[in-house]
Amino acid sequence: MSDATTSMRDALYEAPGPKTRRRIRFWTFVSLLLVAWGVWAIIRRFYVTGQLSPKYWLFFTRWTTWRFLLQGLMGTIEVAVTSGIIALVLGLLLMLGRISSNRVLSAVCHVVINFFRGVPSLLLIYFFFLVIPQYGIKMSSFWMIALPVALAASGVLAEVFRAGMNAVPRGQTEAALSLGMSPMHVKLKIVFPQALRMVIPSLVSQLVVVVKDTTVAYVVSFPDMLQNARVLITNYDALVSTYFVIAIIYILINYGINQLSVYLARRSGTRIVARTSENPM
Amino acid sequence: MATTMQDEGKQTPVIELRDVDKHYGDLHVLKNINLEVDKGEVLVIIGPSGSGKSTLCRTINRLETIDSGQILIEGKPLPQEGKELAAMRAELGMVFQQFNLFAHMSILDNVTIGPIDVLGVPKEKAQAEAMELLKRVGVAEQASKVPAQLSGGQQQRVAIARSLAMHPKAMLFDEPTSALDPEMINEVLDVMVELARQGMTMIVVTHEMSFARRVADRVVFMADGQIVEEGAPDEFFDHPKSERAKEFLESISGH
Repeated sequence: MSDATTSMRDALYEAPGPKTRRRIRFWTFVSLLLVAWGVWAIIRRFYVTGQLSPKYWLFFTRWTTWRFLLQGLMGTIEVAVTSGIIALVLGLLLMLGRISSNRVLSAVCHVVINFFRGVPSLLLIYFFFLVIPQYGIKMSSFWMIALPVALAASGVLAEVFRAGMNAVPRGQTEAALSLGMSPMHVKLKIVFPQALRMVIPSLVSQLVVVVKDTTVAYVVSFPDMLQNARVLITNYDALVSTYFVIAIIYILINYGINQLSVYLARRSGTRIVARTSENPM
Repeated sequence: MATTMQDEGKQTPVIELRDVDKHYGDLHVLKNINLEVDKGEVLVIIGPSGSGKSTLCRTINRLETIDSGQILIEGKPLPQEGKELAAMRAELGMVFQQFNLFAHMSILDNVTIGPIDVLGVPKEKAQAEAMELLKRVGVAEQASKVPAQLSGGQQQRVAIARSLAMHPKAMLFDEPTSALDPEMINEVLDVMVELARQGMTMIVVTHEMSFARRVADRVVFMADGQIVEEGAPDEFFDHPKSERAKEFLESISGH
C-alpha cells in the first residue's frame, strides 16, 4: 500500500530540486507553527471555559465508567459486524444479479441497488423503527439498527464489487470460457477472486461507514457506544470530555480497520501485481 | 461419432467454416470465409494486421459471434449457448496473445482447473497429469509460482499446457508469440512444433513466417476480411499468386 502511494506521488509530481526542497522546508515549518498555535488555542479555550476542570474528567478513572462504555462498544461492534456481514453477502448477490444476462433480474437489482445507495441510512432506520412495527412485525432494537445499516451498505458494496469485476481483464474470462466453464462458474471462480483483491481498500472504507452508521442507534434506543456515552453525559453533565474520549475510541477503531486493509492489500500484493504486469497499460 | 462419419468415405474435417460473414458496424471483418481443417493438419493463417485473421480464429470457439454462415466442429454445428457451447469449447484448446493465465492461481492450479472443474477428473490424477504436461513444456520447476513470477515465454508455455490438459480435438493459437520478447519466441514455437509433430490439429494465426514455412501443412493468406490465397507453404512463400500476397511478403522481407 505504501509502495502504491509512493509511486502515485512520483507519478503526480516531479522529484523536487534544491530550491523546491528549501521552499517545502519553509512552508512545513510555517504550517507546524500554525498547527501548534491551533492546538494551544483550543486547550486555552477549554481552560478558560472550565472544561479542563477535574469534575469533567475524574469519572474516567472509574472502572464502572469504562465498563459502561465497553458494553456500548460491544453493542457497536456486534451491530457493525452483523451489518457488515449481511451487507457483504447481500452486496455480492445484488452485484451478481446486476451483471446477470437475465435482463429482468438485472433491471430489478439495478433499481434495488440505486434505492439503497440513494436513500439516507437514517431514513431506512426510521422505516424499520416506525413503519414496519405498524404491520405487526416485532423486531428487536438490534435488528432495527443492523438491518437498515446493512441494506444501505449493500447497495454501495454491490457497486464496489461490480467495479472490481469490470476491472478484471477480459482475457481472464475468455480463457476460462475457452476451457468450457459456464459463465457463472467463470464469474465466481476466476473473475470474482481477482475483483475482490482489487476492491479491498474500497470495501474497508465502506466498513468504516458501517461503523459510523451504527451511531444512529440512539434513534431505536439500542445501547451502542454513543448511546451509552449520552447516558454518561446526562449523569455527569460532562459533554465535551465524554465526546472527546469516545471520538478517540471511534478514531482508533476505524484506524484499526484501515490498518487491516493495508495488511490485506499487502498480503495479496504479489497477485495484484500479477494482474497489472500481465496487461501493462 | 467421428468414426461413423469416416465410414462414409471422405473424412469429416475437424473444423469447417462455410460462407462465414461478420461485421463490426460498417466494417466487414469477415467476408464469405470458407475453410476446412482436417485431422492432424496444421493450418497457418497469415496476413497484415486488421485483415480479420484473429477474429476468424476467435469465431471458431465463439468468443466472437458470426452474422451468417456456418461453423462445424467434426461435422456438427457450433452450439450458440449453454452447456452445449461450453462442452464444445472444452474440446477446442485456445492460446491467446496475452497468455491470459489466471493471475490469482498457481501455475499448477492454472493447468488443473479445467480438468477438475469441467471434466470432473479427480484432483490427484489431474495434478499428476498437469505435472507431466508442465515437464513437457519445460516449466515443471515453476509449478507452485503465480503467473506474474514467470517470463512471458514461460507463461505462454503454461497456457499451452493448460489447453492440452483438456485433451482438445484441435488447438487454436491467436498470435501466440506477438506479445513476447524476441528471445522468448523460439521456446514457445518449439513447443508448438513438437505438438504439430505429434499430430495435433492446429490453427495458428501468426507473424512468424519461418514457423509457417517449417510446420504448416497449408498456409492461408488473409487481407481485408477475405481469404485471398491458400496453398502449401513452399508454394505460397516462393510463388505467391496474388498481387496482395506478393506485396505483403515483400513488405515483411524488406529488411
